[in-house]
Amino acid sequence: MTEAYVVGAGQSPFGSFPDESYRSLFATAFDRATASVDAEFDPERIDEAFLGTLGVGGRQLGLSGPAVTEHVGLHGIPTTRVENACAASGYAFRSAVAAVRAGLADVALAGGYEVMTDTSSDHTKWWLGVSGETEWERLSGTTFSGVYAQMASAHMNEYGTTTEDLSRVAVKNHGNGARNPNAHLGFECSLDQAMAAPTVADPLNLYHCCPTTDGASAVIVASEDVAFDLSDDPVRVAGMGASSGHVGLFQRDTFTSIPATRRAADAAYDEASIDAGDVDVAEVHDCFAIAELVAYEDLGFCDPGESGRLLREGVTDPDGDLPVNTSGGLKSKGHPIGATGTGQITEIFEQLRGDAHTQVDDPRYGLAHNVGGSGGGATVHLFERTDGGDR
Amino acid sequence: MSQMNRIEAVGVSLPHLCISTDELAEAWGQFSGAGIDEKRVPAADEDTLTLAIDAAESALARGSVPKADVSTVCLATTTPPLDTEAIAPRLVRALGLPSSVSTRTFTQSTLAGLQALDSGVDADGPALAVAADAPRGDPASEDHPFGAGAAAFLLAESGSVELLGSASHVDELAGISYRERGDDELRGLDSTSYERTAIRESVTNAVERLGSVIDGSDTDSSDGSVDEFDASTVDGAAVYQPDARMPSRATSDLQIPKEALARGTVVDRIGDAGAAGVPLGLAAALDAAAHVGDGGTNGSDGRGDDARTLAVCFGSGGGATAMLFEGSVESGFDAALDGGRSITYPEYLRQRGYVGTVDVAGGGAHVSLPTWQRSLDQRYRLAAGRCPECEALTFPPEGACGSCHRRVEFEHVELPRTGVVRAVTSIGHGGAPPEFVEQQRRDGAYGVALVELEHEGESVTLPAQLTDTDTETVDVGDGVRAVVRKLYEQEGLPRYGTKFVPTP
Repeated sequence: MTEAYVVGAGQSPFGSFPDESYRSLFATAFDRATASVDAEFDPERIDEAFLGTLGVGGRQLGLSGPAVTEHVGLHGIPTTRVENACAASGYAFRSAVAAVRAGLADVALAGGYEVMTDTSSDHTKWWLGVSGETEWERLSGTTFSGVYAQMASAHMNEYGTTTEDLSRVAVKNHGNGARNPNAHLGFECSLDQAMAAPTVADPLNLYHCCPTTDGASAVIVASEDVAFDLSDDPVRVAGMGASSGHVGLFQRDTFTSIPATRRAADAAYDEASIDAGDVDVAEVHDCFAIAELVAYEDLGFCDPGESGRLLREGVTDPDGDLPVNTSGGLKSKGHPIGATGTGQITEIFEQLRGDAHTQVDDPRYGLAHNVGGSGGGATVHLFERTDGGDR
Repeated sequence: MSQMNRIEAVGVSLPHLCISTDELAEAWGQFSGAGIDEKRVPAADEDTLTLAIDAAESALARGSVPKADVSTVCLATTTPPLDTEAIAPRLVRALGLPSSVSTRTFTQSTLAGLQALDSGVDADGPALAVAADAPRGDPASEDHPFGAGAAAFLLAESGSVELLGSASHVDELAGISYRERGDDELRGLDSTSYERTAIRESVTNAVERLGSVIDGSDTDSSDGSVDEFDASTVDGAAVYQPDARMPSRATSDLQIPKEALARGTVVDRIGDAGAAGVPLGLAAALDAAAHVGDGGTNGSDGRGDDARTLAVCFGSGGGATAMLFEGSVESGFDAALDGGRSITYPEYLRQRGYVGTVDVAGGGAHVSLPTWQRSLDQRYRLAAGRCPECEALTFPPEGACGSCHRRVEFEHVELPRTGVVRAVTSIGHGGAPPEFVEQQRRDGAYGVALVELEHEGESVTLPAQLTDTDTETVDVGDGVRAVVRKLYEQEGLPRYGTKFVPTP
């Protein structure tokens, strides 16, 4: 089995773009990804594409993948649209790596796209609820933020986590996002602001929730045979993990952890033969502030119940031992559902090549963590810097 | 032929919300509902079906007749959730009664409540008679006295309250209280003195005729005349009560003692509950009879097991029915009155749906009718599955075992109706999924909890709304109790399921 490397990655700006379509946003991400390849890159070298989207708003529900690849001139290549809610492009990336490792493709494209801001708020709500468990969770009147708020209530009850802990996630991620020109909400916020925002779903307030966002992202994966020809400094896919879980929170035996994340992380660390202590920079799935805290615990950055302390002590700040969400995360950079997973990988690619907007000091290993729904699916990918030196 | 059924147990359901009629008087500059101090208000997720279910559950819990033995259900309401489409089957399903029960529905007139009770007494085998009503009208006028509530009577040969007899009077008396086709608001022609006379004469005729039907009463056959029933001997009387003055007005030709009338008059505290008004008054009077001597000073009044209670209702459209009972039974009426939450008039208009209704277009997360239908036992009866391999519970009981993940044939388990909150949030204004937009407009922010229910050492968690509570006050670890409420409407049809209310 050949190793797989990321040789290029890019994202469109994340935000609200009434003049753009999902196809044009993807074209921007794709052009940036190909431009980030160090060598001259002919898109015709792409053998296959895996693209994630939930399809918010309806649009091209069927065959939106080919609609996108044909739009950017990738004529005729096999394209698979991946749907795993917010983890769609985390899973699309997994498929692209698998295709390369299996020898089905020398170069594979992974990416995602979503347009969420161009429909009425009523129409949007129909679409935001569709990734929760439909028959019971949704029909008890629970919203997506409500499910994570329930997790927060359980976490607060079990570990004494506070509203201030939740708000610190927003402060940190907005601080990072303010330095990222591609961020949707690229402004700083104070702890006071993040504490005083209006309640969305108690105990979560507006600053504890990510926005709905338009955007696209693309990652180019290459086999060992071609990666070093294409890139001076390819990033090795060191470990892959993915797992499913019950779609409804009520169906799980814990409300303070996402078991799918734990299983995915175990698999990824195992394959990379490293542990959490080796990770130098991470993008974690902070759709809601509680999700970032729970991710710290599920990814092994700290023990259960210790996430608030980790954050308070600055460990996950850009200058801390384990910077998290240097892009701004879903909270500040934005969360265009299908584009989020490969958007996170774009940030890690840039970090490991020294190109990030909030650059971490000399990272070797990076982690990207993508969650679908409230934990019905999750991917964890580990990346290693090569410095072009493996050959 | 078997013996007639007697009243074995009574259950009462009153909405948690109430409003002082001073609020209405202030809003409109006057209040037309003589003697009504306070009235009960069905919340946005309550209707006559949910009130009927709650009252029936209470009656079944108070009695000793197993659900499987109930063979007849008699349901009365003038305000069914749908104009056409029987609601009795929904009641039967929600209560978990056998599908072999015979159902009878009484409607179209305030007489429906007593007709259902009369029919249930006559039924062959144990029966459940339920009257539930929540009339509506123009908020400026007709609505003023309208309250809501339900009373349920579990009827069996073993009951403690015997129906001594019933009698009716029928005449065409149009225009006193009617609802046009396609309208959901009651009207009256408001011809006061005509109405009073018509009602009084109907009531008097029906009550006097009791004399000819009561066992052991003297009927003088020699001259063909019939002894009139002597109403002065009754201990309690639940009389047609659209307002608090009507019971004495309607019976002014009869000699019913004042205290007896007071025992059966509840409209002053719950408002005009339509076809459920007299049944609720009867529930209160039977309960009062059961508590005679509890420190009462009434001496010989209300003779407990010998107490005689009259129920008489005028029927919109014309006529009256009178029923005379002997005996007493607790109904918990006073307890049902306890603990309501007082609301303002603007909230009243929202909760009752006079304002704030909205049509929401369909979209994602559509749950089809067959899918919904398959889940009814889970929605109403909290049916879960127990894994024969590992004992763990799975809810809903389908697919692989939630614990050992094996594909098994679940054993059917009905979960207890009390549990503990394990996670909770509140969905604030503007945040509700489309299906719940109208409920949130009308009822405000609502809580959604993950509730853990235990059964024989195993537990399972399900998501459900909290209701009848301030969302801010419910925390992880709090106890809750299941109730059936309206969840939402799809394609114009209401769908019902379990919500939870905090236990004290």
